[in-house]
Amino acid sequence: MSTLSDRISGLFFMAMGLAMYFWVNPNYIETVEGGNLSPSTLPNIISIILASAGAFVAIKPTTHRLRNPVLMAKTGLYVALLTGGIWAMSWFGFEYVAPVLALAIMWLIGERRPLWLGLGVVAMPALIWFLVTQLLGRALP
Amino acid sequence: MVDFSTILAGFGDAFSLFNLAFVLFGVILGQFVGAVPGIGPIMAMAIAIPFTFGLDPLPAIAFLVGVNKGGLVGGAVPAVLMNTPGTPDAAATAMDGYPLAKQGKPLKATKMALFSSVTGDTFSDIVLITVSAPLAILALKMGPIEVAALMIFAFSILAGLIGNSIAKGVISAAFGLLAASIGQDPENFTPRLIFGYWDLFDGLALPSVAIGMLAISEILHRLSEAHGNMRPAINAKDTGNPDDRRVTWAEYWSCRYTMLRGASIGTVLGALPGIGSTAAAFMSYAMTKAGSKDPGSFGKGNIQGIAASESANSAVVGANLIPLLTLGIPGSVGAALIISAFMIHGMQPGPLLFENQGRLVYGLFGAMIMANFVNLWVGQLGLRLWVRVVSAPESIIFSSALLLCFVGVSMATSGLFGVTIMLIFAVIGYLMASFGYSLVIFIIAFFLGPRFEKSIAQSLALTNGDLTQVLKSPVALALLVLSVVSVVWFLRKNTEGEDE
Amino acid sequence: MQLKSKLLALAASALVAVSAPALAEDWAPDGPLTIQIGFGAGGSTDTMGRVLAEVMKENTGWNIVVENKPGGGGVAMFTGLSQRPVDNKTIGMGVSIPVLVQLVQRGDQLPFDIDSFDYLGTVAKAELALVASKDAPFDDLEGMIAYAKEQGTLPVATMAPPQVLVMNQTKATTGAEFNLVTADGGAEVMKLILGGQVLAGFGSGEHYPYLESGDMKVIAGANQARLSYAPEVKTFIESGVSAYVDPVFFLAMKDGTDPAALEAISAAINEATKAPSFAEIVQNAVKGDPINMGTEGTNQMMVDGLANAKILFAK
Repeated sequence: MSTLSDRISGLFFMAMGLAMYFWVNPNYIETVEGGNLSPSTLPNIISIILASAGAFVAIKPTTHRLRNPVLMAKTGLYVALLTGGIWAMSWFGFEYVAPVLALAIMWLIGERRPLWLGLGVVAMPALIWFLVTQLLGRALP
Repeated sequence: MVDFSTILAGFGDAFSLFNLAFVLFGVILGQFVGAVPGIGPIMAMAIAIPFTFGLDPLPAIAFLVGVNKGGLVGGAVPAVLMNTPGTPDAAATAMDGYPLAKQGKPLKATKMALFSSVTGDTFSDIVLITVSAPLAILALKMGPIEVAALMIFAFSILAGLIGNSIAKGVISAAFGLLAASIGQDPENFTPRLIFGYWDLFDGLALPSVAIGMLAISEILHRLSEAHGNMRPAINAKDTGNPDDRRVTWAEYWSCRYTMLRGASIGTVLGALPGIGSTAAAFMSYAMTKAGSKDPGSFGKGNIQGIAASESANSAVVGANLIPLLTLGIPGSVGAALIISAFMIHGMQPGPLLFENQGRLVYGLFGAMIMANFVNLWVGQLGLRLWVRVVSAPESIIFSSALLLCFVGVSMATSGLFGVTIMLIFAVIGYLMASFGYSLVIFIIAFFLGPRFEKSIAQSLALTNGDLTQVLKSPVALALLVLSVVSVVWFLRKNTEGEDE
Repeated sequence: MQLKSKLLALAASALVAVSAPALAEDWAPDGPLTIQIGFGAGGSTDTMGRVLAEVMKENTGWNIVVENKPGGGGVAMFTGLSQRPVDNKTIGMGVSIPVLVQLVQRGDQLPFDIDSFDYLGTVAKAELALVASKDAPFDDLEGMIAYAKEQGTLPVATMAPPQVLVMNQTKATTGAEFNLVTADGGAEVMKLILGGQVLAGFGSGEHYPYLESGDMKVIAGANQARLSYAPEVKTFIESGVSAYVDPVFFLAMKDGTDPAALEAISAAINEATKAPSFAEIVQNAVKGDPINMGTEGTNQMMVDGLANAKILFAK
């Protein structure tokens, strides 16, 4: 069994902890005069813990098996789709984007039956629209 | 205090068909809306409050009590049926509820959640109605030093959930605490790690992080596994054995100590403002697992796990009313919503509430008792309905759930910014799960982080940085000793588990 | 034919019903008005904002949506408001002091200033008091300072930076030492006082029930004027500490909003602040009457407030 996945994630968290401690925390946390607990105290301690635990995992990895890379790539596709959905919603609004997004997701899963597609693409967004804007009087994203 | 005739009059006011109708309507709304992925029980309350503006105080409060209690039951539904908890406290329920549902026993799993939720809730209601005043005074004595010690104890209980790699558990916790330190620091209110995004000034919104990490990341994983042959989102086919569709009395009775422990933990933590139901659910779960003769069966569909989590997180919600009613201090977001609703209806929580508005308070208690029974009854029907809904093909379930999470998180946070944060944490959650890091530990650390840091800052201010002052507090000292004991004990238990 | 004409008549009457108020008011929002509250659910701003919206809805018939946009005492919400396009239907509601303090301390990091908004009016003033448990061995600020000097130091709970600055000013003026414990809000301050962990703390309304029940007493007023409900108690200024805060709850829209919209909405707010049901909520929340300074008055309040904040809070 491979120890590669733990070595990668361990090194990642080590790098992240070090980056936080040496670069991010000093630049993005203000210093204050007086007070009892400086804003940077806890983040700094945690960054060091993160880096050390990361190093430990990288040195003494367990034999954790990564999820199937093909599945992970497919997930990446869905994430890209949802990112596009959020971006489109910021321009055109939920009403227009939701049916398209629902259709894309259902199609990618492999749904081809017109009845279910109709329910998911037309009925569901319409129901959400009705509930949120008409019944609750709130705004959709 | 309050004389007996006021108590009777209050209960008399509550027990009317008119109020029962509002309780019923509230419970139905709470169970249904609370179960929708991405909306959840707290949003259900926020949605319901405006509808009460036109009502008289008692029916309005009865309605909100119904929504609140219905939401408790509803919140467990997506966790159990789809492994997509909408709130962090339901994540503990998912750990055994979902495996049980996957074995073709979704009704048994949800019913166990319903029964233990109502049990825990009723327990804390009884405590609230009978001894809230002395308990509130006790809670006042828990100052910042004791709360900091209690937080450390809660963190030590996390050791019971760590699993096979201690270092990876520590990373999950540290990462969660780091995410929690985004936003204003608790003492000086400086903008910390916000990178110019003032939307982050109050920190990453809990709904965004929790729903992204727990629900969306799971949906993403399930989407990637789906391929063409349309399955229902859950295996609900009848196994032929009627016992798989219900919870027998023997099963319920076998969980009596688990539920009692869960309800006690929930009641104590609920009476202390600011700790919350998440810590209670996981403390109860970890203790039940540690105390079990067969710890290996947890996470694989043990009803004890469901009972531990649901009895504890439901007890918190009732007990949250203890500091709320007697001191006017809301212990959680849900309690803050309730206090604003009470104030809109002219009820002023605080030391004089029982004296000035005793009749209304006992009316509230009456409504709570009714709501518990209604919850049980509606739940029997509602859960069947949900299991049917989730038996639809996964294509429609997942696409609809995603849309609902978008809408729900955008309503609960500041619009699309919150939705973007949700997606970012969905990706982080997916990657962490892929590489074998515990999401649950991350979420608990994220949730407790700000409270922990604040209590540390307060303790330092009170003691002038002199930590030997801790020795003067017997409660804090006892909790710290308990923390050490539990870490050692849990870690030994973990290594024993590896040897087997 | 008959059915058709009936339907037509119905449609016509519906149209009349929809357009009638628009004609009467000259201006009506196209779609729901949104009031964004710069604080989380459950606080006094939230409660007042929601009831204000409800009363405005009853009076005008407009659909009004209330949203919580917490963050930095309203800074996150006003940042968002200043960055969105003018739509004539998004209103922000917040409290003056936290915004002014951030403008003074981090003005260069913020994408707005007080001219980025058109002000609609105010709702109420918050009265800030320093309170202590009834058993505390002092009854006024002088007594508290003397006791702090005698004991070496004295724990005081605060809930926001302006209060810390007031206490620091007290330290600087008198030489007394205080342990300043930061709490999450007024309710937590009350808990710390009742639990005996601190001897005094600031309350902006959360302490009224305890004054009524006799569990607490007022030590000093932290506003410019004395407290309306305790006129015998001296302010910090009167006790020789030159510091005060005057938080005002106000509403604003993005600069450049249609003047007709501004006029109609501020009139609606003005009408709502006069409603008895609203006065009751304000009384519950801040123990005072609703105060509406109007559009001009609110603008002036912000300009004066900024000048004051510069003197008090400049780094």
